[in-house]
Amino acid sequence: MKKLLYFLGVIIAGLIILFFVLKSEPTPTYSPERNYIVGKESEILSKFLLAKDSTIIELEEGHFTLTQALSLEGVNHVTIIGKGIDKTVLNFKDQTKGAEGIRITNCKNITLKNFTVENAKGDNIKVMDTDGITFKNLESSWIGEVSENNGAYAFYPVLCNNVIIDNCRAIGAADAGIYVGQSNNVTISNNEAFYNVAGIESENSKNVKIFGNKAYQNTGGILVFDLPGLTQYGSNIKVYHNEIYENNIKNFAAKGAIVGQVPAGTGSLVLGTENVHFYDNIFRNNKTSSIAIASYVLIYEMGKRDAESLETDSDDVVGSTRTINDKYLNDKNYNPYPRRIKIGKNAYSNSYTFPTINNDFGKILLLKKPFQTVDVMWDGVEDPKAAYTICFDNNDLSFFGLDVLNDFKNATDDVSKLLCN
Amino acid sequence: MMFRNFCVTSFLTVFILLSSCKKTEKVTLIKETKSVLGLLTVNDTLQDFSEVGIKKLSAYNFFKKPLNQLIPVDESVIPYELNSPLFSDYTSKKRFIVLPENTKIDYRNLGVLDFPKGTIIIKNFYYTKDDLKSETDDIILETRLLIRDVKTGIWQTLPYVWNEEQTEAYLYILGKDIDLVLEKNKERATQTSFTYSVPNINMCKNCHVKNKKIMPIGPSARQLNRENIIHSESINQLTHLEKNELIHNMPIISKIDKMPNYHDVSSGNVNDRARAYLDVNCAHCHQEGGSAKTSGLHLVYEETDLYKLGLNKPPVAAGSGSGNLSYDVVAGHPEKSILLYRMKNLDPNIMMPEVGKSLVDEKGVKLIEEWIASLE
Repeated sequence: MKKLLYFLGVIIAGLIILFFVLKSEPTPTYSPERNYIVGKESEILSKFLLAKDSTIIELEEGHFTLTQALSLEGVNHVTIIGKGIDKTVLNFKDQTKGAEGIRITNCKNITLKNFTVENAKGDNIKVMDTDGITFKNLESSWIGEVSENNGAYAFYPVLCNNVIIDNCRAIGAADAGIYVGQSNNVTISNNEAFYNVAGIESENSKNVKIFGNKAYQNTGGILVFDLPGLTQYGSNIKVYHNEIYENNIKNFAAKGAIVGQVPAGTGSLVLGTENVHFYDNIFRNNKTSSIAIASYVLIYEMGKRDAESLETDSDDVVGSTRTINDKYLNDKNYNPYPRRIKIGKNAYSNSYTFPTINNDFGKILLLKKPFQTVDVMWDGVEDPKAAYTICFDNNDLSFFGLDVLNDFKNATDDVSKLLCN
Repeated sequence: MMFRNFCVTSFLTVFILLSSCKKTEKVTLIKETKSVLGLLTVNDTLQDFSEVGIKKLSAYNFFKKPLNQLIPVDESVIPYELNSPLFSDYTSKKRFIVLPENTKIDYRNLGVLDFPKGTIIIKNFYYTKDDLKSETDDIILETRLLIRDVKTGIWQTLPYVWNEEQTEAYLYILGKDIDLVLEKNKERATQTSFTYSVPNINMCKNCHVKNKKIMPIGPSARQLNRENIIHSESINQLTHLEKNELIHNMPIISKIDKMPNYHDVSSGNVNDRARAYLDVNCAHCHQEGGSAKTSGLHLVYEETDLYKLGLNKPPVAAGSGSGNLSYDVVAGHPEKSILLYRMKNLDPNIMMPEVGKSLVDEKGVKLIEEWIASLE
């Protein structure tokens, strides 16, 4: 009888854990009020197509439905200005031409201000090869329940210089809400990013300041990535004065996307990259860990393993790394290790007891550190030539270095040896 | 009396209005039996884009009247064909080059020839009467001009759309949707109704920008290296240019490469023809300096790095365009290759090419399928 009760107890405890785990990954819905107007397309389109140097494109108040991408190509000093977020709305839901909502290529000094772009089939706002691009007081979003069919990026400057994204909102991106790729001199400030797979992501970018943002209810809050095989690699990234909380939603990235690896419950993830500084941020209730630091080596090893299991079963769980490639070994300019990652004083808090287990990191944590979450987690894979991999300004936090390549033999939670000089 | 007069007049006016309404109804009925809807009407041609370029195609004086026969006014308008043309929803194309007097093309071994300032390249897109249901004539949809500025040397793209009467084409920068019914033939298994889409003026640049500059795509030496009938003489196109002293630095013709014709089995093996297909249909963006350079997928004919050709290469920023597949090309597995998946798709977020396509190129798909299956 006692035995039976004991078993029942275990089962009930198990069910309770399962309940919390399943409940832990919501798929949120964004539903702002809209009254769409059809028939303004030619008028709006002409403004973009006739834009010359120094043109100011003014967008009226109204929620306009468009069937094709709006583009600027090869023009300088152009401003696109609306009557405000939710007042001027460009809706691309029934788009039949072009994959982006707004596409800006090969320009100089472009400013986008005071409007909403929503529901593009691909990326909402893509800017490429442009020197001087400012996004101010914009919303870029996908409406409805989050889905892998949402577009990939809400704000997507790539191969740009002098990028400012300030006071904007990014909602519902199936990859990253605010994404800056292969760009230099970037400011991402005072924005809100929610319901995205990645809230804010800096990828292969240099001289990036990310401050004053709120990243919440994404799968991962603020990510700093360095990936191989691209035109340039990232360094000098400062992440400060941000609020990063409740980033626990289910990873809804399309399979094949690299952010598909990000475990739900990630406050921040640093992958590779040199010279990243986190300080004065508030991390709250990110289930897996507030900050995770990983090398591309780990991702690659996990990818190999997943690729093997994939031969028999292709319907895998989120968190697979099968599209990570081994090209990084051939890319001489690429360093797969995180280097000089400095963790300053941040505020960490967590009311959750169980990490999410739908991903590898979560499973490892649950096994190694049951009934507690970790502020800073590190895979322990180091570049032997680096001055240091990570250092901490203070030891007032819970830390876990996994030493993954040696089967966790030298796993450690001791911060004292990793304090900054 | 005045009142009665007024009544009679208004009655008559209403009657005339009504009967004229009936007339227009009849006209639209006749139109609906036609298979092409959406060419320019009088209303469309009122729009003024004179700040962008010359309004009417006829004003350039390229062609004799009637304009829609596309017969050059004289020998300065040189017709040309390409070995492997871009697939554009089964349209046929008539292409011409106009060089300014006393200028020459500078020969280039790779890439497009270097055309002198002032050059105009003309490309007309049309369906033959056999392509179309109940048409007695070929129907020209659009004429795209590439003009190299005499002073700056900067290329400009200008899209002209034809009117319903087929008497004139007008500069129309907004893009135009044209509804069509295509009859089946040996390339198309079924009758197809679809919307042909004339690109807007900025979409031209999606494909035509290389290293931040607008450039022609088609007329490279290896594409032009073929026979054609030029001013009633059958001759190799490059030889014609040389003979008329319109090109310099050209090597002897036997030393010049030929792009295979991807539809002609005798012009190369599967690999050669598939690579020609990818070059012509994809590489204008998928190359160094092209607008798809961030994808890392480079499909120019001379590319030898299999990884850059997509083999076991994961997608970069493809979003749902990956179709839940892992690699651009998987040797021996067309069904696992993102490249083919995107060729076969028509969803704007997924399809490739991403502009200028409303139909899947069935023959092209077959060729690429065959190519991927043949890879080891």
